[in-house]
Amino acid sequence: MTAYIVRRLFATLPVMAVVALFVFFLLRFAPGDPAAIIAGDDATAESIAAVRAKLGLDRPVVEQFLLWLWGLMQGDMGVSIFSNLPVTRLIAQRLEPTVALTLSTLFVALALAIPAGVLAAWKARKLVDRIVMGFAVLGFAMPVFVLAYILVYIFAVLPMRTDWWPLPGLPVQGYRPIAEGLWPFVESLILPSVALGITYMALIARITRASMLEVLQQDYIRTANAKGLATDRVLLLHALKNAAVPIVTVIGIGIALLISGVVITETVFNIPGLGRLTVDAVLKRDYPIVQGLILVFAAAKVLVNLLIDISYAFLDPRIRY
Amino acid sequence: MSAILEVRDLRTQFDTLDGVVRAVDGVSFDLARGETLGIVGESGCGKSVTALSILRLIPPETGRIAAGSSIRFEGEELTGLSEQEMKRLRGHRISMIFQEPMTSLNPVLTVGTQIAENVTRHLGLPKKAALARAVEMLDLVRIADPGRRVYEYPHQLSGGMRQRVMIAMALSCDPQVLIADEPTTALDVTVQAQILDLMLELKEKTGTAIVLITHDLGVVAETTQRVVVMYAGRKVEEAPVEALFDNPLHPYTRGLMRAIPRLDVEADAAGTRPRLQEIPGLVPLLTRPIIGCAFAARCELATDRCRTTPPPFVDAGGGHIVACWEAKP
Repeated sequence: MTAYIVRRLFATLPVMAVVALFVFFLLRFAPGDPAAIIAGDDATAESIAAVRAKLGLDRPVVEQFLLWLWGLMQGDMGVSIFSNLPVTRLIAQRLEPTVALTLSTLFVALALAIPAGVLAAWKARKLVDRIVMGFAVLGFAMPVFVLAYILVYIFAVLPMRTDWWPLPGLPVQGYRPIAEGLWPFVESLILPSVALGITYMALIARITRASMLEVLQQDYIRTANAKGLATDRVLLLHALKNAAVPIVTVIGIGIALLISGVVITETVFNIPGLGRLTVDAVLKRDYPIVQGLILVFAAAKVLVNLLIDISYAFLDPRIRY
Repeated sequence: MSAILEVRDLRTQFDTLDGVVRAVDGVSFDLARGETLGIVGESGCGKSVTALSILRLIPPETGRIAAGSSIRFEGEELTGLSEQEMKRLRGHRISMIFQEPMTSLNPVLTVGTQIAENVTRHLGLPKKAALARAVEMLDLVRIADPGRRVYEYPHQLSGGMRQRVMIAMALSCDPQVLIADEPTTALDVTVQAQILDLMLELKEKTGTAIVLITHDLGVVAETTQRVVVMYAGRKVEEAPVEALFDNPLHPYTRGLMRAIPRLDVEADAAGTRPRLQEIPGLVPLLTRPIIGCAFAARCELATDRCRTTPPPFVDAGGGHIVACWEAKP
């Protein structure tokens, strides 16, 4: 197992190298020029060329790439074109809100979607099942930004503008670090987590239901029932542990969904995290920041996949590495 | 000897797209304490459904035990019990072994866990003591090195060993009744014999009564004391095992006997043995109510009366009864 983990960690290096190559050249091929943005609207061709020379953007692309790669190997992601701050520091500053948002979404999604899926499978074709699956279809069909604005309307606009609206207001702007207290922190994450997590929840609830339905047909479930075991033990131990591998796989795949959702959610709810940093950097063509962020997202995804693969061995003793 | 299990007029039905299937259609039998009763019949005759009905494990979405059926265990009517009361009975006082040891054990739990949870559930033993009981049970079913095996998963065991684990699990709470549904069908012949011997030996030790469900008349002859023969969801004959083999009365039972390959029949001069005889025709569809005798369509003795009126049970003496108009006891 340890050997497997070490091997997999080494295998991430070529993956990251390919990601680095693609992100660098795709950005250069994309239209837009940071030098033109810095030089301003009434800049002349000469002033743009001067800015470009100052930023090192006039050098051959391959040379720029190798310079960046050399820096990366020393843990240096370069410097922001606009603020002149090191990219690593910019990312570190914005990391906490995004990690908090992602983890709280993950927590909320798993805590709601897995029980809902188990319940739906247990009560298949009954009312509870139809309600759960109805929500799942709705949640899966709803784009993150649509839901986000609906939530803002329900929990911020209506409570403020009317006095008959029964629901309490919730913060819809910004992020409160956990250092400022637990409740403000949690409160600031509720709506963003729901908006970000709804698609994810729908996906997990559906796969949980499908996987459980298949497992509940198996002979060993009949054996468990013939032993007179309590229903919760049959469902949550005998069935869910067998149904877990597909569920965990989808949880892992869905992380990509969360990463792309973070960008939109942070924009709607004005959270100063990596998502907002990404949007701002892309709009300004701040190449080093975008490159650094994409590497960080890719590394997160690769590590999550590794964790998922390792978890298989704990869930199913027949899987050995 | 008083019966520990009395089944009366059991009717179990399933809803299918083709209509209601009468899988078990009015079956009655008794099981005495410590007795081994065989239930035989071909696939689809309702043997397994009978077994699942006794434990009330018929999936409620599709099937049900019809009103008027009675299953009494130690005098207590099981059809009227709540699901919670049934759960306390299952695996504790009545347990069951299934046909497929490959798929009947949970692949992601150790065999120790699967035996111990039964003990914890019904006897209230703490985890450690329950696991010790699991080791003891594995030893009882003669699995070598039980202290190590309890921590193994089903895929690490052979088919015969898995069925031993199933038996250990079923007997872990000293049940009064063990229902074994084709326990040896999926196993090699040599392993079959070992498993059957083991079950009989444990029965002697514990006094558990066994209902052995099988399509194998050889198994019945070797292991049971009494036999119920089922056809199309009905009981057609019931007899002590010697009486059944010496003097099968129902044409269906006779047909089954003629279909057994025999080594004690001499080949003739040309080296050919008499051809085994199959029973002509097919099992009737259970979606339509069967008028008269269920076997009439395939029976060479059938008369008009057989096709219109269900035959009553005729007592041939010595506990041998048969449902046939034409049988001559």
